[in-house]
Order: sequence, then structure tokens, then C-alpha cells
Amino acid sequence: MDAAPSFLDSYFLWRDPLAVAAMAAVLCSFVGVYIVLRRIVFVSAALSQMSGVGVATAFWLASVAGVEPHRAPWYLHPLWLAFLFAAAGAAAFSLHLARRRIAAETVVGAGYLLAGAAMILVLNSPRVTQETHEVNDLLYGNAVAVPPEQLWIMAACTVAVLALHLLLYKDFVFVSFDGEMARTLGYRAWWWNFVLFETFALAISVSTRAVGALPVFGFMVLPAAAALLLSARLWQVFALAVIIALASAVGGYYASFRWSLPTGASMVVAIPVVAGAVAALRLVFGRRAS
Amino acid sequence: MNLIELRSIVVGHHGRPVLPPIDLTLRRGMFLGVIGPNGSGKTTLLRTVLRLQAPISGLMLYPSGKAPRVGYVPQRDAVDLSFPLTALEIATMGRYGRIGRLARPGSADREAALRALGDVGAGALAGSAYHALSGGQRQRVLIARALAGEPDLLLLDEPATGMDLPSERAMLDLLASFARRNIGVVMVTHHLGAVADYASELCLVAGPSRPITLGPRAEVLTSERLSEIYGTRVVVARLGEHASIYMPRETP
Repeated sequence: MDAAPSFLDSYFLWRDPLAVAAMAAVLCSFVGVYIVLRRIVFVSAALSQMSGVGVATAFWLASVAGVEPHRAPWYLHPLWLAFLFAAAGAAAFSLHLARRRIAAETVVGAGYLLAGAAMILVLNSPRVTQETHEVNDLLYGNAVAVPPEQLWIMAACTVAVLALHLLLYKDFVFVSFDGEMARTLGYRAWWWNFVLFETFALAISVSTRAVGALPVFGFMVLPAAAALLLSARLWQVFALAVIIALASAVGGYYASFRWSLPTGASMVVAIPVVAGAVAALRLVFGRRAS
Repeated sequence: MNLIELRSIVVGHHGRPVLPPIDLTLRRGMFLGVIGPNGSGKTTLLRTVLRLQAPISGLMLYPSGKAPRVGYVPQRDAVDLSFPLTALEIATMGRYGRIGRLARPGSADREAALRALGDVGAGALAGSAYHALSGGQRQRVLIARALAGEPDLLLLDEPATGMDLPSERAMLDLLASFARRNIGVVMVTHHLGAVADYASELCLVAGPSRPITLGPRAEVLTSERLSEIYGTRVVVARLGEHASIYMPRETP
């Protein structure tokens, strides 16, 4: 009880990090419904890894160019390169769907491994080692200190991706559910898959930078999986996934603040707790209704 | 009215033909059964007509000047059961070719989908979750989805797989009724009994090295031809208008 006032009193400390975490939760859980339904959950892990290579490469290129990383031109900005690398990976994964000669999980696994190895190699460069602490912050997020610039980038990306998804909802669902049927009705399925996967890349690269790889993977997979267990209507699954993720981000952040726990891990552990609470509420209200 | 004309079309994978060149005309009101053993090239032919894969050579012509509106019914197992969609939502997808990319389905589209579900006897299932339906009911929903787009030509890939006899017969009666309503019906099946009493024309395929047999059902469905294609004795017994196909048991 005594922690509540101190938490509220520290509003100025947690306002921006919590806002960023909440936006990452909403964004990742929404696109995560597609990722879970299409059985490509490790795409988010692989894209997260690829965006990490982009961050490490940005630092390496800045040092090669003799530029201080924080004063580097826009095209060497870590976030930009993180998105660029994740977008390239997303394009490769989406185009692979059109020419399936190897199982999707094998291609995703190969992407994850190669990106992981590439990141180790880049980070091992003497040019980057002195920046390792900062690179790790960028790679795995730092939900404690959030610069204003990051807040706005996260907000812009969240609004852009959600707006695009709401606009193209029918088409994304159709191509994901039955791409072959969509093709017979004149859809260029490869193009729709490409656009869909690029939204995954954007969501993952900005969210990983904001809250870290583990919470991003958690928000992508767990809320959608829980929502699918709790509802038999697709629009409800999207809504439930977002509600569960948002409540988990807030609850996890509070638990982390209250008991000095690691923030990302707290948010992930909160997801099944919130999902369980939603299931219990559904059971109670379902019984009352009957 | 001719909808699609295939002229010396060669179908196959990665430049390797799976059938000899074929000349075939798909018309309104026809009920064409494409039959043959497993792996004989039936589905490849269907996918080529659907433009899901390009032919190796030959021409595909549209006499009306544009591609006809097609309704495709894939193999039931190809449809993902993990998506939480209702029968109505799935049937409405058949309208997406008409709606346009960014637009949402309107009341006319929902009505067309409901009408299609009613046509296949699945009107009461509109609000049911697709994954909770029986195999026969799912098949009806997929046919309704194809019908909802008001197609000129309906193409079905192994629609009778996994159905019990009454469900299969009910579905075949339904397809025959579409042909009577002047919709072209093309059904790929390895189940000869499914076409013996229903298809007006048959296309018998058996791989790249054997000629394709195309013609009226009674001409194509003969004991000699089937025995040759299947490499074992197959008997086609005729009882008036009906045909029954069976393999006699060889007794030592």
C-alpha cells in the first residue's frame, strides 16, 4: 500500500518509459495475431535479431566514417539501420512464402542464426567494443530512460502501422487465411504478404529499441495465443490481445518499479497472469449470463 | 457459351510436363469431371486453368475478351482451421474479387454470402465457427464462398474427399444443379464413383506419356480404358442411366 503514493509521486520518472512500453505492447500484440495465426512466431525473434545487426552496423559504420555515433547523419542512425535490416529480412521471409521449396521455419531459423552470428562479429570489432554498453541498450531496450525523440518515433510508428492494418484488415486477413483463393480473385498475394511483413519489421525494430527483444517477442506471441484461446471471433481476438498486452505492460512495469524487478521480464511474466484474470472474468460473467 | 479455351496447353512443374498437350473448352452449363490416378496431373491442370501456375507452353484464350469470373473450391484440408472465422465471414470472402482492395464488404455482399450459404443448405450455419463444423458442412461453406462471387465457372479440387456417402451424394446433386443454372462446373477427383452418375463430360488424364481422353461420360468411362489406365481390371457396369464402377476380386 505504501508503494502506491511513491509510484504516483514518481510520475515524472515513469511517464515516458511506460508510454513507450504501452505503445510497444499495443503494436506488437496487434500484429502478433497474424504471426501466431500464420504459425511463424519465430519470425519476430529473427527480425528482432536482424534489427540488432542494423544497430551494431550503424555503430560500426559511424566509427569507420569517423563520426561520433550520436552526431551521425540520418542514414547512419541506429534506428534507421535497425529498420532497414529488419525490413530486408521481412522481405526475404515474405517472398519465400511465394516459392516454398524449403519449410518456412527452416528459412526463419537460418535467418535467426545468420543474424546472430553477424551481430557477434560486428560487436567484436575493436571499433565498436567501447560502445558495447550503449549498443546493448539499443539492442535490448532500456525501459527506464527514454529520450523524447524515441517517444515520438514510437507513437508515429504505432499510429501508422495500426492505421494501415485497420485500412487493409480485410485484405490482410484474406491473404493470410487463404492466399491461394485470394490469387484466384486477382490479389497479388506476394505483394500483400510483403506489405504485411514490412509492418512486422517496423513494429519489431522500433519496439525492440524501446523495450528490448524479450518483451517484444512476448507481446508478439503470448497475448495473441491467449486471445485465441479465449475467443472464437477474429475481431475479438485482436481486441483481447491488445487489452491483455496493454494491461501486462502497465502491470509489469508497476511490479518492476514496486519490487525492483527487471522491467522486460516483469512485463512478459504479467501476460499469462493478465490472460488468466481475463479468462476468470469471462468464466464468471459467462456463468452469470447463462 | 465458351468461357475458356485451352489450345495445346502443356502443364507441368519447373519446365517438366506432367501431361501431354491438351485442347479443352470450358463452357457455361457443362459438368466436367477431371479424373485419373493419384499423381496423374489433375490438380496441376486445374491450377493452370486458375492461373495459380503458368503453363509450360500453349495458349489459354478467353472468347469473351476477358477472364471469366471463377469460383475456386480448394481441397478442404488446405483451409486453415486456426483462424477464428464464422461460416458467413468465410463465404463473404468470395465477394472480395468484386469489392475492391480497400473497401469493406457492404450489406449487398453479406446478403450475397447469406444467399450462397442458403443455396448450399448451410444458411443455418452462418454464425457458426468454421472450425467447429463437420467435414461435409465445411465443404458446403467453401462451395458457398465460391458461389458468393457469382461465378461463371466453378472449379473444385477433390471436393468429395473424407465425406460419407449421403454427404457426397448431396454435394454432387448440388453441383449438378449449378450446371443446370448455366454455371460451368469443373471437378477434379480421383473418386470415379463421384463422377459416374453426374459429370456430363470427362477428361481422363494419366501422366505425361499417355494420351488424354476427353469426351462425353459414356464414351470415356469404359472398362477397357479404365483397366488400361489403372493397370488392373476395372469394370464399368451400366444400369440404365446409371453407372457403377468396381474392381472385381481375383479369386485363385
